[in-house]
Amino acid sequence: MAKYRMHLMLCAGTGCVSNKSIKISEVLEKELKKHKLEAEILVVLTGCNGFCAQGPIMVVHPDEIFYQMLTERDIPHLVEEHFLKGRPVRKLMYTPPKEKTPVPKMSDIGFFKEQRLVALRNRGLIDPEKIDEYIARDGYSALARALTSMTPETIIKEIKDSGLRGRGGAGFPTGRKWEFAARAKAEEKYIICNADEGDPGAFMDRSIVESDPHSVLEGMTIGAMAIGARHGYIYIRSEYPIAVERMRKAIKQAREYGLLGEDILGTEFEFEVSVHQGAGAFVCGEETSLIASLEGRPPEPRIRPPFPAQSGLWGKPTNINNVETWANVPEIINRGASWYSQLGTDTSKGTKVFSLVGKVKNTGLIEVPMGITLRKIIYDIGGGILEDKKFKAIQTGGPSGGCIPEKLLDLPIDYEKLTEVGSIMGSGGMIVMDEDTCMVDVARYFVDFLRGESCGKCTSCREGLESMYQVLTGICEGKGKEDDVELLQELGAAIKDGSMCALGGTAANPVLSTIRYFENEYQSHIRDQRCPAGVCRELIQYLIDREECTGCLLCVKNCPGNAISGKRKEPVHLDQEKCIKCGVCLEVCKFKAVLVE
Amino acid sequence: MSNSSGMQERKIGSIMVIGGGIGGVQASLDLADSGYKVYLVDRRAAIGGTMAQLDKTFPTNDCSMCILAPKLVDAGRHQNIEIITMADVDKVEGEPGMFKVRVKKNPRFVDESKCTGCGSCWNNCPVRNEPQEEEIVKPELEEKDLEKISVLIGNNENGRGVLVPLLQDINLEYGYLPENVLKYVSAELHIPLSQIYNIATFYKGFSLTPRGRYIISVCLGTACHVRGGQRIAERLERDLGIKIGETTSDLNFTLEAVRCLGCCGLAPVVTVGNDLYGKMNQVKVAKTVEKYKG
Repeated sequence: MAKYRMHLMLCAGTGCVSNKSIKISEVLEKELKKHKLEAEILVVLTGCNGFCAQGPIMVVHPDEIFYQMLTERDIPHLVEEHFLKGRPVRKLMYTPPKEKTPVPKMSDIGFFKEQRLVALRNRGLIDPEKIDEYIARDGYSALARALTSMTPETIIKEIKDSGLRGRGGAGFPTGRKWEFAARAKAEEKYIICNADEGDPGAFMDRSIVESDPHSVLEGMTIGAMAIGARHGYIYIRSEYPIAVERMRKAIKQAREYGLLGEDILGTEFEFEVSVHQGAGAFVCGEETSLIASLEGRPPEPRIRPPFPAQSGLWGKPTNINNVETWANVPEIINRGASWYSQLGTDTSKGTKVFSLVGKVKNTGLIEVPMGITLRKIIYDIGGGILEDKKFKAIQTGGPSGGCIPEKLLDLPIDYEKLTEVGSIMGSGGMIVMDEDTCMVDVARYFVDFLRGESCGKCTSCREGLESMYQVLTGICEGKGKEDDVELLQELGAAIKDGSMCALGGTAANPVLSTIRYFENEYQSHIRDQRCPAGVCRELIQYLIDREECTGCLLCVKNCPGNAISGKRKEPVHLDQEKCIKCGVCLEVCKFKAVLVE
Repeated sequence: MSNSSGMQERKIGSIMVIGGGIGGVQASLDLADSGYKVYLVDRRAAIGGTMAQLDKTFPTNDCSMCILAPKLVDAGRHQNIEIITMADVDKVEGEPGMFKVRVKKNPRFVDESKCTGCGSCWNNCPVRNEPQEEEIVKPELEEKDLEKISVLIGNNENGRGVLVPLLQDINLEYGYLPENVLKYVSAELHIPLSQIYNIATFYKGFSLTPRGRYIISVCLGTACHVRGGQRIAERLERDLGIKIGETTSDLNFTLEAVRCLGCCGLAPVVTVGNDLYGKMNQVKVAKTVEKYKG
């Protein structure tokens, strides 16, 4: 392999691709050629870097210079200055909010400093479409070790000792799950990787599959050896086309290298993997309904027991784990259970990937040790709240989780602590909400989501969520009644008790946790007909601040209902009769002259 | 009753409740909770009675299943309750405190201890499905459709679990699932049309009506929601004159809402066809969509 003086790691995750990173790579190649640098400098298209908000991102190795928000026009200058003359371009570097000097090195940036990469160990460092690069980063060495010097029992013991728990949400100890499947007696067993990442606001599985598909394959192969399976399935949701494509490519390459198929690494072990694309149903993330979907049946959950480890796909013992769980496995085998169990808290070992999104400055994907506090995540890694507004809540665990208020920000997060405060770990979505987010509206949003995704098998989930939605809509429209909060709590309990699967069992969490911590917001909607955050349309009014308005007429131009009128350089007038409350005036105004009441 | 607390420390004897409706279930639960062994007998195949068939209860209009379901689950799991279904009480002898009951249990032909209630025996019963099969008529397809479908069926010929990938291929080929194609598939693969419809309507990825040239998906994941995704969806509804899920009359655009595209760092996100646009607002989105018109 040729040696290069510099490696340009250009992010080609979904986020950066949408910001034209592919086009940028073409321009880069062209410019490098122009300066005859193509033999010295290599452009590598990597998977998701994680810091999606600043995309497209390029990291220059060996100096680890971090460039962000690149455009095609920046490239000629960048190539000439940095790559030819050796002067890094400061204006393309990341400048933390409120500071003036840019931070050149990636590891010095607050967003990356606190992170500890295990599952995401190869992110931004390899080209996910090249198996050689994965192998160069010790890839498949864990598999080799497992195949040559370990038995199924010692593998399971290692995973058990590491304390790894299912990263899909429920946190069941992975080693024990494997043990159940390994003990089950059957001629055929199956391994499934659950990449049906349905939680809105979570994208760690997408990122892992896109940036490091081989780590998942390696983990699955080790798992297959441990439980005695010969065939595996990866169930990827259809909304992730790049992930599907990369995984298919990875499987093909692994097969060519003899890392999948018959006689893996010259041993007698054989394992095949196929990709199954979902068709858009949230409930398929539940293991029994995922199995039903794979079999071509309507994906409705069923009662457990029997657990999939006893009777899963096609009635055979099956082991299902989430993408992130699989990606952790090779690293545990490589570095040992005791290394892994050093990280984290007493009950939750290791690291967890979170998607930190919403009203926070640095949005993106982060991997941190368990036990880190929410405050550290939001303020040190996330850089604080957008526009320095006031923090209100952080929502974890997707539609099954809850909202955690400011007074609990010093909570060290692990599975148990989050459950204690009425939320869950879930797959790791973290949505930050500020003073402009209405908690009743958020509760209604989740109930609306779940009411659409409920498969309809259990009456309490199907009908209960519908009733809850109607009550919440009433509150948002100012038609709430005194005892609505009590009614919601009662409905919540009924849905929880009367539903078969986790979707219904946790469906009430967003409502119950917002009532628990933000009951005053419910009350002001019900009693005072006021939405404190200025979100619920029936309860708000847009007003023009005549002092601040400069008469630029931008709002007049954009108002779809012609509700705003005025002359240039004079404060405008808003006709409440005509206003449809779309909020576009607030969005376009550069002088903060539109108020919400 | 005054001395009952001292006397009744250990509960002895057992109680039989006849009839597993809501009354019987509640009585059994109360008795079982106070420490008696309860035999709950019902003539039908399952407990629950009439209330399980009702939508609402009078006069409060409460959802009846919401009241009943937790109790059924409790009764089913209670260690002190033994449920005897498909049974008739044949004979009652004795006197209060010392009854002797003879219960006749009718055969169920299913091992209750192993059944999980999955319903697949019911779905797969050949006797029940037989009359349906005879009615199936293979629809006449046009030559080009016939060719396309045979290729797609051929691609998915590995037997088990074929339906979803096949429907995905058809959906990709036509942009939706045409009715006569589904009927053809049903006849060809011997899968009841009802089962195909069940799958086709369950997943969001399938459409039964033709869709536009460009599919606009507004992400309404949580991150996009808190950053104003809903407003963007409403703006597009107004601009295009259609609601979410509808297609413009010129078949150019279909507007859809999607729950998270996994690009939360760029919220709010909209996709038009295969192109993804991040950090949208109402003004930008209107301009973006304009590019795809005409």
